[in-house]
Amino acid sequence: MLLTLPSYDFISAPLWLVTVLHIVTLTLHFLAMNFMVGGLAIVLFGCFKNKQANPIVEKFIRAFPSMMAATVTLGIAPLLFVQLVYAKPVYAASVTSAWFWLMIFMVAMGSYYFLYGAAFSKKFIGIKQRVYLIIALIGFVYVSFVYSATFSMSEHPDVYQALYASNQTGLVLNPNIMSYLFRWMHMLAGAVMVGGFFVVLLGRDNEQAFIVGRRFYLGAFLVSFVLGIAYLFALKDILRLIMRGPAIWILTGSIALSVLSVFWLYKRKIVLTSIALLVSFVGMVVVRHIVRLIYLKGSALAFDPAQIPFQPQWSIFIIFLVCFVLALAAVGYMFKLFYGEQK
Amino acid sequence: MNYPFWNVDIGYGVLMASIAVIHVFVSHFAIGGGLYLVVAETLARRNQDDEKLNLLKKLSKFFVLVSVVFGALTGVGIWFIIGLLNPGATEVLIHNYVWGWATEWTMFITEIAASILYYYGWKHMSGRNHIIIGWIYFIAAWGSLFVINGIITFMLTPGEWIQTGNFWDGFFNPTFWSTLWLRTGVCIMLAGLYSLLVLSREKASDFKVSMVRFNAIWGLAGLLIIVPTMYWYWHVIPQTITDTALKMMPTPIKSLTASFWNVGAIALLLIVFGFIIPRRLHFIAALVIMLLGLSWFGHFEWMRESIRKPYVITDYMYGNAVEVSKKDVYKKQGYLSEIKIRTGDDGKDLFLHSCRTCHTLDGYKPLKPAFNGTDKAFIKSIVLGAHKLKGNMPPFWGTKKEAGLIADHIYKQVDQRDLATIYGLSGQALGAKVYEVRCNRCHEIGGYNDKSEALLTGATEESLGMILDMAGELAPEMPAFTGNAQEKKALIEYLLTVKE
Repeated sequence: MLLTLPSYDFISAPLWLVTVLHIVTLTLHFLAMNFMVGGLAIVLFGCFKNKQANPIVEKFIRAFPSMMAATVTLGIAPLLFVQLVYAKPVYAASVTSAWFWLMIFMVAMGSYYFLYGAAFSKKFIGIKQRVYLIIALIGFVYVSFVYSATFSMSEHPDVYQALYASNQTGLVLNPNIMSYLFRWMHMLAGAVMVGGFFVVLLGRDNEQAFIVGRRFYLGAFLVSFVLGIAYLFALKDILRLIMRGPAIWILTGSIALSVLSVFWLYKRKIVLTSIALLVSFVGMVVVRHIVRLIYLKGSALAFDPAQIPFQPQWSIFIIFLVCFVLALAAVGYMFKLFYGEQK
Repeated sequence: MNYPFWNVDIGYGVLMASIAVIHVFVSHFAIGGGLYLVVAETLARRNQDDEKLNLLKKLSKFFVLVSVVFGALTGVGIWFIIGLLNPGATEVLIHNYVWGWATEWTMFITEIAASILYYYGWKHMSGRNHIIIGWIYFIAAWGSLFVINGIITFMLTPGEWIQTGNFWDGFFNPTFWSTLWLRTGVCIMLAGLYSLLVLSREKASDFKVSMVRFNAIWGLAGLLIIVPTMYWYWHVIPQTITDTALKMMPTPIKSLTASFWNVGAIALLLIVFGFIIPRRLHFIAALVIMLLGLSWFGHFEWMRESIRKPYVITDYMYGNAVEVSKKDVYKKQGYLSEIKIRTGDDGKDLFLHSCRTCHTLDGYKPLKPAFNGTDKAFIKSIVLGAHKLKGNMPPFWGTKKEAGLIADHIYKQVDQRDLATIYGLSGQALGAKVYEVRCNRCHEIGGYNDKSEALLTGATEESLGMILDMAGELAPEMPAFTGNAQEKKALIEYLLTVKE
């Protein structure tokens, strides 16, 4: 009996399906997070003229708590899927940096309350509100840095093994900073770029907001482009593997679309800009996924998710899909009720 | 054993509880509060009671701040902490229940969107549509409880899943329904108690009296569900688990007893302040009732978690991530070959993965006081016979050599002087200490596995001496007496006084 206990070394839906769900939900999570982080940076440092009166700033500040809710909610699913497929490297890296990892949710909670504090203020945008927003932004910078450090470490089993051997207290962070510094900064710059897009989108009838958003969009695009290239070169041997596979085409296409999105933004073609931005965004997330696979396959762990046995659980999977559709319908219906009456 | 071990000087139980208990308080309140708000709003609108509607608006602001921010983030915190404290068990749960969690996530999306729209909707929405959103919120929140309840109860009572590995066998396990209704009762009770707390700040008026009654009815309705479902819950837990708890584990039983006292006290206070002197409900009284409610719930959760000992998933994985299915592998090859990520110190690795989940050296459930003044041979015997100790510990399935390595690791860190020197004792008092350190873990006089009657009937100094000399041969898990001559003499002296 002892040897016939159920196994847990399996995934209960085809890997491609889990990967698609992972990438889709991660993209949505990144978009919401970018709205918030990029939006915060622009609201704080956007040099809006006549800040007291600018309704777009108020609109953003009022929207931040809801976007934080969206970021957290949409972040749960990719965290679940990454733990399903990449449990071993991800848990190992997070345990090695346990305190920093655990602080993520506490810091995020603190930032969340500061966002509410700013949103509930009556004065837009006063010193107190500005301080709240700066604290929230610092919190998000911390969260993003620890995420980059930990997920980067999870791709290097030799690093977390060596680090763990020297310290088991969870008070150590990935020491190979060059392996993730450019990646982290690239993502932050990308967040500001997406934030700039949302400023343009929400302020499309407000010329000043449009100009500020566009300026940030272009500036952040250039910075993230340079950092992205630096990150690519920091990948060293992995870069050669990327060049040989489909990732290079996806990457090239994503960069081209990003350039086009800037062009269309300057032509004030918002719909085309948003499509180009979204597709290039998904492309970047896919490339990030491929880099992880290449790293893990070539590591001491020789981890390949395709080797995980597949044992379907279709009945509950179908229930999940039905509930997902119902949830989307319910949310859509509630928004209709809410905004229908607001109009 | 596939993962590194987070060697933090705080007990794992404390770390887990510090996040999980807070989360369950908030999450249950979030469900019950949702029902409370929508029911109270329906009644208030029907009676065109603007005063009540204003109070509900105030409540819902706090409700959003607590449930959406604190509830959601501490929920994420649970994900983080379980992955740090027991990644092995978390991996088992995720692989088996990923679509359960994904389903819960769909409820969560709905719940969060509904709560935000409900709060902001007070300003401009019609009563009908606002109430619809309130009901959607409650249904999604309760649905989320329904799903997560299946996964949590699975850990204590996996039921048929152990044989079949089937998702539904584990989900609708023996304690699923009782716990679902028990938790529903908790949600309702907490909503009533919290609302009572908010209301206690209002000035005495007829409105306050009617609302205090209304809230007391909520609290009592919750209790009326809790009491029978708690009884039901206890009786559907396999008897082997409850019997073991009663016999070997003081912690869950103490928690259970405390929870009964809490229920009685809450009921009494709700009746007194809700129906006899509602006008005199003061903030302090409401706070006491609220704290009693939280205390009850905390005790219940503590009992539920600790009764699962020594397992994290009953009959499948022990609390220290030792897998039942690998028993033969461990016994043959030992633990070290299964510990994938190493520190470079075998004794430390074995200690971390075998003992450290539940014990720290000097903090939570400390080992130093337990082993101060003992010796390597004794510690090794205790490791090998761990499953016999009071407290229901996991068995050690590693090799004897590995048990020796753990003993060496612990011994290096304890006070190696003899007991007489450490505690400054002699004679009978020293004997009592020797008994406490060397015998009491398995043979509690007047308690767990008490052998004093059999041992001491007709016992003499000589016979006790002989028994101590051959102690290691009396049972496979029994340690030989390895104390010094002074300790032996003192122990005999003490035992003879016990006899008298």
